[in-house]
Amino acid sequence: MPFINEILKYDTLSIVGLEKNVGKTECLNYILRRLPLQEKKVAVTSIGIDGENKDQVTSTKKPEIYLREGMFLSTAETHYRERRLVSELVEITNERSSLGRIVTAQVIVGGKALISGPSSGVSLRRWVESIKKYDIDLAIIDGAISRLSSASPAISKAMILSTGAALSSNINTLVQKTKFVVEMIGLDKLKDESRDTLCDIESGVWGVDNEGNLVDFKITSALAINTIKVDITKGMKIIYTVGALTDKLLNLIAESKNIKNVTLVVKDFTKIFVSEAAYRIFCSRGGNIRVLQKSKLIAVCVNPTAPNGYVLDSDILCRKLREAIKLPVYDIVKNEYDI
Amino acid sequence: MTFKSALEIDCGLRYMYDSLCIMSSCGRKMLLAREMMTTESEVDAYYSRLKNILDKNCSQIAHKLMYLKDIHNTLSRLADGTTLDDIELFEIKHLAILSAQIGNMLTEQEITAVTLPQLHMVIEILDPDNLNIPSFYVYDSYSDELREVRKQMKALQGQGEDLTDDKRQELATLLQRHADLELEVRKHLSRQLLTYTSQLRNTLDNLASLDILIAKATQIKEMNLCLPRIEKETYTLYNNMFHPAVKAHLAEQGKDFMPVDITFDREPITIIGANMGGKSVVLKTLALNQLLAQYGFGVAAHDCNINLVEDISLCIGDEQSIVKGVSSFAGEILAINTVIGKIKAGKKILALIDEPARTTNPIEGTALVEGLLQVIDTTHGAFILTTHYNIVNTRVKRYRVKGLINGKMDYTLEETRCGDVPHEAIAIAESIGVDTEWIAYTKKNLNN
Repeated sequence: MPFINEILKYDTLSIVGLEKNVGKTECLNYILRRLPLQEKKVAVTSIGIDGENKDQVTSTKKPEIYLREGMFLSTAETHYRERRLVSELVEITNERSSLGRIVTAQVIVGGKALISGPSSGVSLRRWVESIKKYDIDLAIIDGAISRLSSASPAISKAMILSTGAALSSNINTLVQKTKFVVEMIGLDKLKDESRDTLCDIESGVWGVDNEGNLVDFKITSALAINTIKVDITKGMKIIYTVGALTDKLLNLIAESKNIKNVTLVVKDFTKIFVSEAAYRIFCSRGGNIRVLQKSKLIAVCVNPTAPNGYVLDSDILCRKLREAIKLPVYDIVKNEYDI
Repeated sequence: MTFKSALEIDCGLRYMYDSLCIMSSCGRKMLLAREMMTTESEVDAYYSRLKNILDKNCSQIAHKLMYLKDIHNTLSRLADGTTLDDIELFEIKHLAILSAQIGNMLTEQEITAVTLPQLHMVIEILDPDNLNIPSFYVYDSYSDELREVRKQMKALQGQGEDLTDDKRQELATLLQRHADLELEVRKHLSRQLLTYTSQLRNTLDNLASLDILIAKATQIKEMNLCLPRIEKETYTLYNNMFHPAVKAHLAEQGKDFMPVDITFDREPITIIGANMGGKSVVLKTLALNQLLAQYGFGVAAHDCNINLVEDISLCIGDEQSIVKGVSSFAGEILAINTVIGKIKAGKKILALIDEPARTTNPIEGTALVEGLLQVIDTTHGAFILTTHYNIVNTRVKRYRVKGLINGKMDYTLEETRCGDVPHEAIAIAESIGVDTEWIAYTKKNLNN
């Protein structure tokens, strides 16, 4: 199984799903089972509640997380008490979730547990930092349902994306939707001397003019872009939005005369909330988007079975997706890949 | 009065609390719940502990105290005879080890302000393998059968491959047995620990109070505060008294705070002086310093004698309440009336009243203030008011703010015999740049 070796090159990994029931937890279990623990110290947590026996929304069976001897886990105290493994408690952290304080423990005898770690991006980042004191080589974050924020390069350097029939039961639509997300993850980093300055900005919409001067458009976010009546692209080479990038801002730039000369910049792909249609129009008119930070997408895992029982042809799905995104695609449940 | 309710008094105590660097949540909780000290022996004992900490280097201990967790709930459950779970046993072990580490630091630094109970028996119970690390699980060494079951579980599961139905069944049985065995061990441990409940509570409380003492000592050094002398008689003295919040605010603007000296005894005090002469600040500082002394903080002065009181009343004239339907005058008069009631009842209080009866006409106002000073002939504590009225009562001690000298405000308080108030209002209004026509008319009216 090739992507385990790829994972070991990074110190943080997040696993995110494009929808519920796309096989994210199976993917995580698959990876956890194959990591060479004699060489690497591994810690696992998840953003928010995860690892329930049953899916809270669709009541379908959800695979549990199996943790091996020597691994570290961080989970809410309520779930820690219900664990079905032997582990040594090493720390009660200062992070809290709705299920109580988050505790960290090291597995003594492997088994299954419910993992529900810190619930915000900021606290996840703190977790990644704090876990370092246990000499962790690889920190793995199980992302939440259709929330990509844990995959932000500010938190984890590498990611694995799960997709499947739960997102769409039409192969072409599924490929199309997944391809768009992969395209956003793959956006190039900004190559401009203003990059460092832009990284330090914490909110608002900003521009860099052709002379390299920073311009503040004095709006709190791209959502308030309507309040600006002038053409913000005039004389600019870069427009940077710190928060979410929405269709509104994208359309505004797509309609300006200056579109070919200006680069639209976002912090990272998790800040992009534009529809594919708007993005395609933007690109066809000569626009381009760059990111300040980029995470490495290692592989895409698919689950051809939808929660309503509909099953897609795994081989066709994998092949079509592989052709579309030019990245490794695996159906982990069907093919018990060997190491 | 708890410290928490004292924070409601608008004298700058909140600023002192906010700048206090208490590391643990139980330290903060303990301080907020603390009752004001009113006896000499209590206050003396507290300050001698604080003095013990003052010249020591406590930064390492403070750093350790960051890891102190409030486990009162766990200890209550232990005392009730509940079987504790892994997390609770971890908390107790953590506290015991932390306490032992801090105990060593206290010995090294020769700190005697707090003594920590010996908890090595607790550590021994929760650390059967003598590893001396603050982590916990139900160790194999507690039960041979447990060790055996775990071995079997391990062998059965391998690396977490999918199991056959038979093996799954076997694992379920093992897990159940494992849970039962762990429960037995935890029951036994909880029973053993039960006898140490009071020592554990004691440790937690002493560490919390150590945290508070270190934070106060740090504040004393940072703000240049002093330790008060507690006066057996009723005499109070402040040399170079200042208000820390105002001082910090002025420092931000590049200005200096001018400290003041004041002494008083059982006779009522009036402070007169120009507007903007710092009279209200003096009252607030007196209230603040009294509270600081009676809650065991450093006091904002170069040195001071403090006369302990049972209660502090600070009336700064904003008692108007639209909700209660009371005008500013009625609100103020009622507040002062309460103070009179307390003094007449023989309570030892520090009463500080800013410009009583200022919202009514000067003729009746003057009469009201004179009447007030006649009612409060002498007190067990102290009675201080500021006023702009000419008071003829001779039985009071009078302080006067030096006032404008060559266009600059001199905040020094000087004792004066005459009750004549200074006439500097117009000069001050002029100096802060109000409408010149208004000033011109005012001067003309005055000359007529």
